[in-house]
Amino acid sequence: MTRWIAGLFALLAAAAPAAARDLTVVAGGGALQDHMRRVLFEPFARANNITVRDQSYDYNIGPIRAMVQARNVTWDVVMVEAPDLRQGCDDGIFERIDWTVVPRDRFLPGGTTECGAGALGWGVAVFFDERRTPQGPATYAEFWDVQRFPGRRALRMGARMTLEIALLSDGVAAGDVYRVLATAEGQRRAFARLDALRPHLMFWRGGQQPFDWVGSGEVAYAVGFVGRAANAIRSGQPLALRWDTLLYAYDYWAVVRGSPHRDAAMRLIAHLTAEEPLRELARVWPINPVTAAVARDPAIRAANPLMMTNFIDRGLHINTEFWLDNGTDLEQRFTAWLNR
Amino acid sequence: MRRGGLPAFLLVLPLLALLVLSFVLPVGRMLWTAVADTELADTLPDTAAVLRGWNGEGLPPEEAFAHLVRELDTALAERRLGLLAQRLNFEQPGMRALLLRTARAAENLRDAPRERLIALDARWGEAETWRLLRSAAGPVTALYLLRAVDLRRDPAGGVAPVAEEEAIYRTLFLRTLGIAALVTAICVVLAYPVAATLAALPARLAAWGLVLVLVPFWTSVLVRTTAWFVLLQREGPLNAAAIALGLIEHPLPMIGTRFAVVLAMVHVLLPFAILPAYAVMRRLDPSLAKAAASLGAGAWARFWRVHLPLSFPGVAAGGAMVFLLAVGYYITPALVGGPRDQMVASFIAFFISQTPNWGMAAALSLLLLAMTGAAALLARALIPGFGRRA
Amino acid sequence: MTPRILVGAAAGLVLLFLLAPILAILPLSFSASDILRLPPEGWSLRWYAALLSSERWLLAARNSLLVAGATTLLGTVLGTLAALGLHFGRFPGRGAVLALLAAPVVTPSIVTAAALFLAYSAVGLAGTFVGLVLAHTVISVPFVVLAVLASLRSFDPALLRAAASLGAPPAAAFRRVVLPLIAPGVAAGAVFAFATSFDEFILTLFLAGPGQFTLPRQIYAAVRDVWDPTICAAAVLLFLASMLLLLASEALRRRGGGIG
Repeated sequence: MTRWIAGLFALLAAAAPAAARDLTVVAGGGALQDHMRRVLFEPFARANNITVRDQSYDYNIGPIRAMVQARNVTWDVVMVEAPDLRQGCDDGIFERIDWTVVPRDRFLPGGTTECGAGALGWGVAVFFDERRTPQGPATYAEFWDVQRFPGRRALRMGARMTLEIALLSDGVAAGDVYRVLATAEGQRRAFARLDALRPHLMFWRGGQQPFDWVGSGEVAYAVGFVGRAANAIRSGQPLALRWDTLLYAYDYWAVVRGSPHRDAAMRLIAHLTAEEPLRELARVWPINPVTAAVARDPAIRAANPLMMTNFIDRGLHINTEFWLDNGTDLEQRFTAWLNR
Repeated sequence: MRRGGLPAFLLVLPLLALLVLSFVLPVGRMLWTAVADTELADTLPDTAAVLRGWNGEGLPPEEAFAHLVRELDTALAERRLGLLAQRLNFEQPGMRALLLRTARAAENLRDAPRERLIALDARWGEAETWRLLRSAAGPVTALYLLRAVDLRRDPAGGVAPVAEEEAIYRTLFLRTLGIAALVTAICVVLAYPVAATLAALPARLAAWGLVLVLVPFWTSVLVRTTAWFVLLQREGPLNAAAIALGLIEHPLPMIGTRFAVVLAMVHVLLPFAILPAYAVMRRLDPSLAKAAASLGAGAWARFWRVHLPLSFPGVAAGGAMVFLLAVGYYITPALVGGPRDQMVASFIAFFISQTPNWGMAAALSLLLLAMTGAAALLARALIPGFGRRA
Repeated sequence: MTPRILVGAAAGLVLLFLLAPILAILPLSFSASDILRLPPEGWSLRWYAALLSSERWLLAARNSLLVAGATTLLGTVLGTLAALGLHFGRFPGRGAVLALLAAPVVTPSIVTAAALFLAYSAVGLAGTFVGLVLAHTVISVPFVVLAVLASLRSFDPALLRAAASLGAPPAAAFRRVVLPLIAPGVAAGAVFAFATSFDEFILTLFLAGPGQFTLPRQIYAAVRDVWDPTICAAAVLLFLASMLLLLASEALRRRGGGIG
């Protein structure tokens, strides 16, 4: 019996977290994070004589909420999507950014919030295979025009971005989209537009899907992540990307509330958003930086013609507040529409 | 040899404590969460108290406005406003923006709360807004339970269906029941020959045959579902084989279809149908069938009038188990199903992990529990011997 | 006798259907390319190598073993004690306790998972190792109790009387008469508890924090988030572990333990 109890304690002790934990930064993984580790995290670790660990996650902030509530915070700096950042900030899951450590003026407009410092931009736009369909839609109105551009289309599954696209296709100006979408009439209009295109529509969930579908010819024209499209084009795929149809948003670096490394986390964020490190990163990976000096640098723009930040004046900035206010309602309506 | 009560009870106590603390209380708490309405009372306690005492006519007393301004200000500073904003916004889209805007402007509203609030936003001058707050003052609400069956409270206080564009839950429950019923029917039909054949085999062969059923039974659900996920891919082995055999020309999309969900669920749940049926059939007296044959009954008659009625409790028990499991299933539809194949469980998961709305998660869980409870009671009533421990 | 042959053939087909997917995964896990085709285009151990050299998968394996081990310990101790109390004792509410034991098994796992997540979040147990072990124990312990009760049922009380008549005090009688005889039952229950915890997915999905991912949880992440052919290898390993446990359970059953 005593052996059993001793064994149990040994097991529990082995599983207990180490007393002194290293500074941990968490992002979306993949090749980009590998580059970030080499170009951003490790130099910071060396310069400050500490260890910086990194992990990846699926942008689900459930675990972050749980760890803040359990007061067992194992992540320090996290890359968070805009709505999660906003919600989390209101709920006290993220620390307020220390703007004396991170200069707030270095970011593009809309690149900072109370709890977040702009990390990278992302966006969606229309793309298609130039070899199969040399002529493709250049606007959302044309995306809807199945006479001129026959073939199946692919949109992202979900109300977010899809409803804005529906309104844009109906002639609503970019500046008015959210005002219209906030009204019952506007929402009805958006769903009616989706109904019109429905027989030709496929919805994707995973980011790679629209690219697989366009590549195999299953879909003629699709809306997909511009980062992936840019990578595909650079690796030789004959894709045409229509920047006039850009919808974009920023992801932010945030600090988890209750982190024991709060000061170091703030300094890390200052480093992650500083000019020089980001220039280094831009040299090895086509990023969309939110730090203004890098985003507007003509040399980097020239070297990265497919950098999204070259085109944001043509695009629609996805309105986080709108989706926080209306997201639940509209997503439910979208699910109902999908199931009809 | 039975010993006295107390020492025996003490032996049972630790496990009992674990079950109560780590099952009964959490489930009870969750059922309570389905009807609890604490966000307003927690975030704006004084406002809530005043509203509870108000009769709902016109606008609330002056102090409600003052308390609201003061408490919104504090809540925003302490960053406790998120939960309340989400709760109210769920019932009435737009409330979140209103609350946050008001909270940010709170400092300027202190001197003349009522006039300045109404000047800030006309909604503060509308009875409806205040009635909404009052209905959220707690302690309980029917909001989540109603929503879970596509109902809502209309302004007059009665119950009305939600707008048709928003109705999803009734379809969801019907779909869940439908898929579960279909899977159950297929499992029962498939289980019968297996159980009958194994039961008719001599003991040693039957033991080996049983191992063939136990292998999938002991294999993790996740492994089996993942196997189907891999097999049904567009570029996966099944499509490749079908094309090679000339059955189809282009690969069929199978992942994300109802077919995949039913197929994978049948595969996962089939052992649960086979094992009880086998247990009962094993104990059937073979001389009964021989007697029927000697009285001139053909094979079909023997099956229909002797074997089937006698084996019914086992087969039905297996079917009931499959149904109870299928109704609450999450992993299989989530992995291989499409958006139109999701069952109740995936919505519960959605409200827990993706959009934290614990009221809805709890309400859907309560309804799911009610469904399985009703099905279990029905099975117990209709199937002789169901639910009795051997 | 034709109906019998037809029925037998049908049974054979169904059994094939039951086993086929699992058997199909085996060769796929040895495929040299990441294209899923049967037979594989080449044979290689690369996915197993990737599995064994990946920190994430090794952590998942370690977590699985730790959680299952702790669950088995806790569940076996609690379950055996309770079974002894239930069998040998007579106290009011005994039937209720038995019903309570069945509750975690008949409740849909999603409901249990959601309830535990909400409750554990409130007390800070969500995303912790202890919380995960407690949750796994709740759903495994009924099997331990069943197994021990089953082996107690075949226990002849006359043996205890004989021990008492030979002068053995009750504690010694328990230790040296009862325990050895129910040991197979306890062991069978422990094996079932270990298997239940090792394969457990849905509770883990909600309750495990990023550092406590078990093998099933990691497989799910690999299927849902980043498509990784290593999952075939991981699935095969998990399957082999389950088979070992099945063999152990069968062996114990023949020695007098087991469930029913």
